[in-house]
Formats: sequence, C-alpha cells, structure tokens
Amino acid sequence: MTSLQTVGHPTSRIDAEKRVTGAATYTGDLRLTGMLYARVLRSPHPHARIRHIDLARAQALPGVKAILTRENCDVIWASGDMRNKRYLFNNPVRFAGDAVAAVAAIDRHTAEQATRLIEVDFETLPFVLDPEDALQPGAPEIQPGGNLSPTARGARGPETYRRGDIDQGLGAADRVFEDHYTSPHINNAQLEPRVAIAQWEADRLTVFTPTQGISNCHTEIARDLELPPEKVRVICQFMGGGFGNKNQDHDFELMAALLAKSAGAPVKLEFTRKEDFLSVHGRWPTKQYYKVGVRNDGTLTAIQLRGYSGMGPYRKGTGGIAGIDIYQCPNVERMVYPTYTNKAVAANLRGPDYPQGVFGIESLMDDIAYALKMDPVEFRLKNMTRKFQDQLPYTSNGLENCIRRGAEAFEWKKRWHAPNEGSGPLKRGAGMAMGSFASALGRSSAVIELDSNGIYHLHVGVTDIGTAAKTTMALIAAEELGVPLEKIDVIWGDTARCPYSVGESGSRTTTHTGWAVIEAAKDLKRQIVEKGLPKANAILTAAANTNPSLNGVARFSFVAHFAEVEVDTELGHVRVTKYVAAHDSGRVVNPLTAESQVKGGVTMGIGMALHEELLYDRASGLALNTGYYGARIMTHRDTPEVEVVWVQTEDPYGPYGAKTLGEPTIIPSPAAVANAIYNAIGKRVKDLPITRDKILGVLA
Amino acid sequence: MSRISRRTFFEGTGAGLVASSVPLRGQPAPPAARTVPQTAIKLTVNGRVHRITVEDRWTLVEVLRDYLGLTGSKIGCDRGECGACTVLVDGKNVYSCSQLAVWADGRTVETVEGLAQNGKLDPLQQAFIRCDGPQCGFCTSGQLMSARALLNRNPHPNAEEVRAGMTGNICRCGNYNHYVESVLAAAGMRSAQPRTKA
Ligand code: FES
Ligand code: FES
Repeated sequence: MTSLQTVGHPTSRIDAEKRVTGAATYTGDLRLTGMLYARVLRSPHPHARIRHIDLARAQALPGVKAILTRENCDVIWASGDMRNKRYLFNNPVRFAGDAVAAVAAIDRHTAEQATRLIEVDFETLPFVLDPEDALQPGAPEIQPGGNLSPTARGARGPETYRRGDIDQGLGAADRVFEDHYTSPHINNAQLEPRVAIAQWEADRLTVFTPTQGISNCHTEIARDLELPPEKVRVICQFMGGGFGNKNQDHDFELMAALLAKSAGAPVKLEFTRKEDFLSVHGRWPTKQYYKVGVRNDGTLTAIQLRGYSGMGPYRKGTGGIAGIDIYQCPNVERMVYPTYTNKAVAANLRGPDYPQGVFGIESLMDDIAYALKMDPVEFRLKNMTRKFQDQLPYTSNGLENCIRRGAEAFEWKKRWHAPNEGSGPLKRGAGMAMGSFASALGRSSAVIELDSNGIYHLHVGVTDIGTAAKTTMALIAAEELGVPLEKIDVIWGDTARCPYSVGESGSRTTTHTGWAVIEAAKDLKRQIVEKGLPKANAILTAAANTNPSLNGVARFSFVAHFAEVEVDTELGHVRVTKYVAAHDSGRVVNPLTAESQVKGGVTMGIGMALHEELLYDRASGLALNTGYYGARIMTHRDTPEVEVVWVQTEDPYGPYGAKTLGEPTIIPSPAAVANAIYNAIGKRVKDLPITRDKILGVLA
Repeated sequence: MSRISRRTFFEGTGAGLVASSVPLRGQPAPPAARTVPQTAIKLTVNGRVHRITVEDRWTLVEVLRDYLGLTGSKIGCDRGECGACTVLVDGKNVYSCSQLAVWADGRTVETVEGLAQNGKLDPLQQAFIRCDGPQCGFCTSGQLMSARALLNRNPHPNAEEVRAGMTGNICRCGNYNHYVESVLAAAGMRSAQPRTKA
C-alpha cells in the first residue's frame, strides 16, 4: 500500500482542545433567553388504556406554561415505528415508559413537579414480555393484526433468507449439531442523556439536538410537523455518543417544538437517565435456534436458523440476527420473527444485527470444532466466507489475514488448550470469533470554499458523535488538496450551513462523505488551475454530490477477535486478561482515532458478554435496572488492554481504499469472550450475559 | 387548552396559534413568589468568589452549569453513577450531581474550566489530546477531574492505581485504555505512543 502525505498517520482530533477544556458545547449546555424546561410523564404500566387524564392540578401549579397529551396532540412520530402509526402520546400505552404527557415550565423542578400532579386514570391490560410467548394463540394483542411484525411488504411471516436446499444439506451431513442461544435487551447508554431545544422565530423552527444525522433529522422533523423543510433548521455541534439510537428525528425533538409553539417561548426538553434507558431504545433481545450440518472433515453442508427478536411494541429496527454469512456453506435457511412485546422499544445499537447473531453462530461453530477435534482457528480458516453468500466476490477480503495475524499477535498456539485444562480454582482459557460488516457506498455531498487567506472552509453535514468524523474529513481534504491540515476549517453540524450528509450511522461517514470531500477537492483544484487563487474578497467554491455504487461485487470489512479469560470457578467471576482485535477496514485514515474506535467497540462487546441486560420483573412487567450501576456498564477496572492489529487490504473503492470501521469493532467480541470461557471451564453458557450465577450454574 | 392536531398546528403556524394555545388556568407566578426554600451561599469556583442565593433543592452541578455558566461539567445520570459531573470540592473529587449546592457553602470548587493555567493546558489535558482520550468527550471533564485528584495525592501511579482511582468515571465510548495511557503519560510513567501494529 502506497503511503500518503496526511491520510494514514496518527493525528489528534482537530477539536481535541475543546473536548478537554470544557469549551465543547453540547446541546444541554445551551441556554436561550426566556427558555422553558420540559419533562415527560410516562406510563407506569406495561400495557394500559388511558380512561382519563386530569390536568387541573398541574395546570394550576405556578410556572407551568404548556402541557401536551394525546387529548390535545395527535402528531405522529413516523420514525418511531416503520409499520404502524406511533403517536407522540399513545393510547393505549404499550410499555412501561410510553409517553403520556409533556410539560413545559419556567424551570426543570417546576416541570418535574407538574408531571407528578397530572392524574391519569389507567385501565391496565394484559401484557407479554417474551417474543415466543407473544406469538402464542391468545397472547395479548399489542398492535392491530397480531404480534408478528409484518415485513416491509406487509406480509405476516418471518424475515426469510434461503440458498441451496436446507433439507438436502442436513441430509448430506455426517453430523448435525443443534443448539439454542439467547441475548438480552441492552441499552445504548451513551453518556449524554436526551435533550432538545426548540425555538420558533415566526414560522421558522430551529432545533438544537444531539443527533447522529442532521440531514435525516431535518427532513423528518419537517415531515412529522408538516412544515416545509426550508422552515426547519437542525443544529448539533457536539454530541455525547449515540451508538445507533439517534439516526432519525426523535420524539423529544417533536415534543420540544410543539411545547415551544404552544408556550410561545424556547423550550429545552430533558430526559432523565432512567427515561433514556426505558424510552429511547436498546439492542433487541433474541432467541436463536440453530441446526448445522457438517462432514467429518469439517466441511459445512447446512446452516439453519430460526430466531425471535423482541422489538418492544413499536417496530423501530430490523430485528435481524446476522452472522451466518461469515461462513461459506451451500445450503442456508434463516427465518427471523420480529415480534411485538410490552418491553422497551428495541432498535439500532452498534452493528445492529450482528453481535448477538455472531454470539450464537460462533458459539455453535466453536462446539463443532471441538467435537471434530479441530483447532477453532483451523476450523474457521477452512470455512470462512470467500464470496458473499457464496455468490458475490468481495472487493477485498482480509479475513484470512485477520485470523492469521490476530492469532500470531495473541500467541494462540501458546494460550489455547484442551477445554477445562489445569487444576485449581482459577482457570484460563482462550477463544476467538470472527465477523464482517457491509462497507456500503452511497450518496453524500461536500462543499469547499477557498478564501484569499488560503483557508479551505470545508462544509460537511457530519455531526461527529465521537468517531472523529470532522478530523477524518479534514484529513481527506488536506490529502487531496495537498495542503497542511491546519489550512482546513471544518464547518459541520448545522443544516443551514452544511450540505446533505448520510449521517453517522451504518459506519458510513468516512466512505460516503469522504468520497464527496475528495470530489469537491478535485473540483476546487481544477478551478484553481483555471482561475488562479482567489484575491481580496473573492472566494472559490467547489461542491460535489457523489453517489458511487457497486456492481456485481460485495464490499465488506472483516474482523477476528481473540480473548483470553481467567474464570474464578469458586466465585464465577470472569476477568479478561488479554485481547487482540485484528481488523480489515481497508486503509486506515487516522490510526490514532481508529484505535479508539476498536478499543471502544471491544469494551462494549465485553460488557455485552459479561454484564449487560435490562432485567424485567415478570409479574409487573417493569424494568428493574435502568441505570449505569444496575446495567453494570463496563468501568475502568473491568477493561483489559486491547491490542489492535490492522490488516490494511487494498480496496479499489472508498476514499483511498478506506472501508467501514466503527461498528465491526463490537461484532465478534461477545462470542470471543464466550468461547474463551468455554475453553477455560469446558462448559458452555448459551445465554448472554455470562454472569456469575450462570457460570456457577453450569459448573454445579 | 386548545387542540394541537397536526392539521391545526400547521394551519395555525404563526402568532395566532401561540396566543390560542397558551392559556393555562391562572397566571403563573414569577419565580420569586414561589415558596421554595432558598439559602444564600458563598462558593469559590476556580479561584473566583461567588455569592449566590440558591434554592435548597438545587444540586451543585445545576448551580455550576445553569447559574454560573460553567457547562464543562456534564450530567450523565444525575444520580451518582457515571462521574460525568466530577469536580473537586476542597481538593477531593466528588460527584457534583449528588451534592446539594448549599452543602458547598464556604467551600472551594475546581472544575475543568480551571485546569488550564494562564492559557497553558494542564499536563493531563495535553496527554488526553495526544493519546486521544476523549471520543464523544462527554465523560472527559469528569475523567480529567478524577485524574487530577489522583495525581494530586499520588503523582506517580501505576496503571492499576489509575484504573482504581478513576473507576467511578464511566466512559460508554469505552476509551479506558487511552484514558489510562493519558494519565500515565502525564505522570511521566509511560510515553504516549499509539501501539498500533500495521
Ligand atoms: S451525573 Fe453525577 S454521577 Fe452521573
Ligand atoms: S468519550 Fe464518550 S463517554 Fe467517554
């Protein structure tokens, strides 16, 4: 790979100083004159009809300025449900946490007090929490038409994928392995709680909000409020993470806008941390039933999955269970049932369809390797994907190198051993798992203005949720323009000043918007040649709208993770003692911030493996642990040192050959840890998270 | 209250709707007329003395952020679980969401805004930049203040001591490796080099 001038060298973020001095302004840091504060009242029941809402006492509280309920607001939040009408305030309420009312008042304490003065007469309804139970005859109906969420085409059947002939494949196998796995609801738990500020100037609406994509958010707010898009402006300067739960417009933005309209003053609507856990969304819980056929030499003949995903009562995500595609196999059948339940809503969390699916398939493949007396690394090298779904060639495929170089850095041969080896209460074990993630190409845009001082003002509609997107865009611009990084001034996060960008979801910013930056830079260079450098007040402007596509090829990032754990067989405690993450993300634009991405994804994945689960009380239908402590989010002390290995394949697509990175980082991590635990104790825990009680349970 | 349907909302866009949808029963009383107990306190924040009257229910972080404009300290949970609000009170790192402002009466408070001295960044801030500590940056002020408190009492910690000293500061972006590396680098215990293998 040829080395470049600016791209590919470890570079501190261009806004790093702001981030360490408190000068970075997040939405919640803003205060507008005359601004009111808003709070939301939520259902305490998992399923209930609202008979009556009495606002008298709340309205009488001095300082209360506006109240919204279903009685006076029937605005539909279209991004909140891809299948049914989801209002901002629903009746019946369908999960404990569904919004009932929103109040704006002169300060947050008054708003909060007012929510407590609202009297709601609920008629409780039967509820169901488990997706398989929800599909049984006689289960409480959560949405009209039944609890199996329809497909995009409206069909009432599972989301299905098939190739080959599954029965033939199972028949041709020497051995058939069958097992099932579960994964829980996990909250995104980004550190910044939800907050939005809405301000009207006559008929123009400005919304300050921590969104992952200002462009989507902008068009969707306009759609839901039936406003002309040019009357809406969305601003997001700094934002405290999201990991997939802020790709669209959100209810809190719409509520803030409506309250501000109603009260005639700007409104800041804040969610509490508990509301964030309950009422935004988390990863969908799954139940996965697999059958895998294999020949005695380790060749796969069939993979079958029947899976259930609990989406909560509104369909906000795919509910997919992915991972099978990392294996080549002629006969595959996957049927997934996205199902309504009365739990918290589930949708995107980093690598949405994958980590739970990879946990399932990689646990089973590990068992198969052991049963066939094959080294798990060799088994994967033999069966790993060579063509996408055995059909499309990949634009580049570094998976084999990820496995080989990762194993070497990890010292696999030294650390891996027969299951449950060694004596004494502390047992060590090594495990690995692999993964892939689509590295899409698609529409985005960029504008560059060159002034007479030689500053290149780069306008991109990115928000930088923590991925260093601004810095990445600046590096790409500096490289293409052949100027020092300091000459690039990035303008971001404001729909009034930035062109369309895809938004930071699907790990697409570098590939999508990066392309547009390159094209705009090329255009600018052409103009400089033609017209010369701008003088005095003149400005040269270049713009690009790009929409590259792929034909007959698949473009993916690849990853292999290796974990070593120490299991205390008396206490059930697991400690991750070594971790190597090998990644093929094509060319790495900024190795420094890319390392942060990998380490962060791995940390989140270890949390998914060992700790995290939103627990529900079956009797009441209420969530029990809505917070960092209860959810046992990873801390400094839980986190091992993670070693990152880059496998930089040459990829002919994407800016300088860059492929996607942010999301693949979490994908094989829960599976790698689970497989290491099996290697340590010789027993398999099939339900995430692998907590002490489960370890002691399988050892008993 | 008048209805705000999508239809009337759109049609009524403009002053008319504002007037018709505001009326709530009774006139809201101005804040001063309310009966919430208040106390006059004196706070020294980053070397500056502030005398302010606070409502007894206000937390320290609310006063710092909403009334003194020091928004560097963040609220991640508002219930003592995440550490985003960490400040130093009389030199000790505390969760400012879990302290009432009145408790800080007469005390000295240091926030992230006070770390840089005369325009020069604290060694911790410099190391955080070099090692790419902050991702989204929302936990960063808290991480910095816990690290500052740690280095004040133990100028040369090892990695395990850093993790222990900062374990009350959650980073959901999961950048703990880089935070530990930053603190060790600032304390002169390790060089700040990314350990990437390419
Ligand atoms: S905001 Fe204070 S500990 Fe989370
Ligand atoms: S940098 Fe995002 S929470 Fe720590």
